[in-house]
Order: sequence, then C-alpha cells, then structure tokens
Amino acid sequence: MIFFEWLESSFLAVWVGESLWGYPIMLSAHAVGLSIVVGMAVVVDLRLLNAFSAIRIDSLGGLFKLGGLGFVINACSGFALFSSQATEFIESTAFLLKISIIIVAVFISALLYAHLEKSRLHGEDNTVPSRTKILAWTSITVWAGAVITGRLVAYF
Amino acid sequence: MMALISWIEGSALNLWILNTQWVWPVMEILHFIGLSLLLGGLLIVDLRLIGCFRKINIEAVQTLLPLAVSGFLINFATGIVFFLGDPMRYVLNVGFQLKMVLIGLAGMNMLWFIKTIQPSTTQWAPNRAPSGSARATGLISLALWFGVLLLGRLIPYVGSG
Repeated sequence: MIFFEWLESSFLAVWVGESLWGYPIMLSAHAVGLSIVVGMAVVVDLRLLNAFSAIRIDSLGGLFKLGGLGFVINACSGFALFSSQATEFIESTAFLLKISIIIVAVFISALLYAHLEKSRLHGEDNTVPSRTKILAWTSITVWAGAVITGRLVAYF
Repeated sequence: MMALISWIEGSALNLWILNTQWVWPVMEILHFIGLSLLLGGLLIVDLRLIGCFRKINIEAVQTLLPLAVSGFLINFATGIVFFLGDPMRYVLNVGFQLKMVLIGLAGMNMLWFIKTIQPSTTQWAPNRAPSGSARATGLISLALWFGVLLLGRLIPYVGSG
C-alpha cells in the first residue's frame, strides 16, 4: 500500500489528478489507444474467422504492429490515470478484473501473432486451421471483456 | 429546438433512460465497441489510401468499410439514447456541437471518396503509391474521425453554453 500512496503523491499523479487538463488528456489518449487496439484485434480475428476473405492473411502483420502501438499508448495513459487514484483503483474489483483480462488478451494476441508468423498461412492458401479459429474467437471475447470491465471501472 | 427538448424531457422514454440503472453504462459500453469497429476499420482503409499497408490490396481493404459503417450505426443508435436521456446537456455542450459538425464533414469527405476516389481504385496497380487526392482524402478522414472521438470524450469536461 505504501507504494501506491507514494505513487499517488508523485508528480505525474498530481498533474493528472489536479491540473485542469491532465485527466481529460489522458482519458482521450486512452480512448484513442482503445480504438486502435480493439479495432486491429477485431479485424485480424474476423479475418481469421473468414470474414474479409479478399484480404490475404499474410498481409495482416502491419495490423498487429499498429495494434501494438495502440497498446503502448494505453499502457502509458492507463498508468498515468491509475497513478492519480492508485489506492482506490487497486481495491476496485472492476479494475482488477479489467487488468487480469487484459493480461490474458495480450497473451492470446501474442500467441496469434507468433502462430501466424510460424504457420506461414501464405500465398493462395487461405484456409485457417480450427486451432487458430478458436484463438481468434477467444481474442475477440477477451478484448470485448476488457472494454466492458474498463467502462465498469467508472461505476464500481 | 427548445420545443423538441421540452417534448423529450419528461417523456416516457426519457424517464426510462434516466431511471433504469443499467441503461447508461450498457449504452456506454456499446458506444465504445462501436467506436472500435468504426475507427478500427477506417484506420486501415485510410492508412491504405495514404500509402501504408501496401501489402493489402486496395480493393480488398475496402471490404472493411461495412465494418466501419456497422460501428457508426451502433454509435448513432446509442448516441440517440444518450441524447434522449439528457437533451439539454448535449444541445448546450460545445464539445457535442463541434462533434456533430465534424461528423457532418466526415460524411461529406466520405461522399467525396465514393464519387471521385473509389471508382479509380480498380485501376490502381498493386503496390503503386496512391495519388495526392487519395492521400488527402484518407488524411482528412482520419483527422475528422479522431477529432470526433476526442470531442466526444471531452463532452464531460468542456463547458455548456
């Protein structure tokens, strides 16, 4: 707890919590990052589930990287937002659930990326193995779960 | 406008939205999911118009447009619920007013894309650098839609009236 009290009194936390624009700026950045992370995840996942089949699977790599950029934006803005109310957030069920879900979601997305890189679903071969499809469904589910629990942090 | 607002306020729907605990958070969640579909789809299409992701075929990338449109429709519907729940707050809010203007401009940019850029994409050679007007259209679209996102997020923080 001492760590979270210290964090809450840090320069960053005070700027986010008490300046006029600190909190809204970080919230805005967090919404931008959210749309990028979840947007890229959904497009890649739906493609692996055979939607948008005109898009070749071996051209999806750039979308993973863009999603990664969105994730970095949200890790940074999320940390800034967390710091301003660290002692409250660390005891919020919705927040802890959200963080747990995001850890799982990142793990699944990394697994999918590694899987696509390795399996070389290349060229004209557009058939997706059912194992990959299960991963894609899981990915959509957990990222949606992250959005849902994230919004609920404001209520619980 | 004021007649419309006073008609909404106190109506059965208005009271239901305000007095049913789960309505607002559920609509907010759907609004964020719609946002992700809209911006996720558009980001890829617009960046492709600007010249990124050239590995993705220009005609193939446009199959993402229905995803973006479905995200927009989700947000249009949930947005109407917010408006019906608290019309005065939104009408007087500078963030909301500007957001609506930007959505209008983004719509016009979309029409411009459909009329002038889209027909020519069938002629685009694979991996060719996009034309200046295609790049401009993609850039304007991204600027407008991210503007819509930012203004929406700032509605609770900017003054009313």
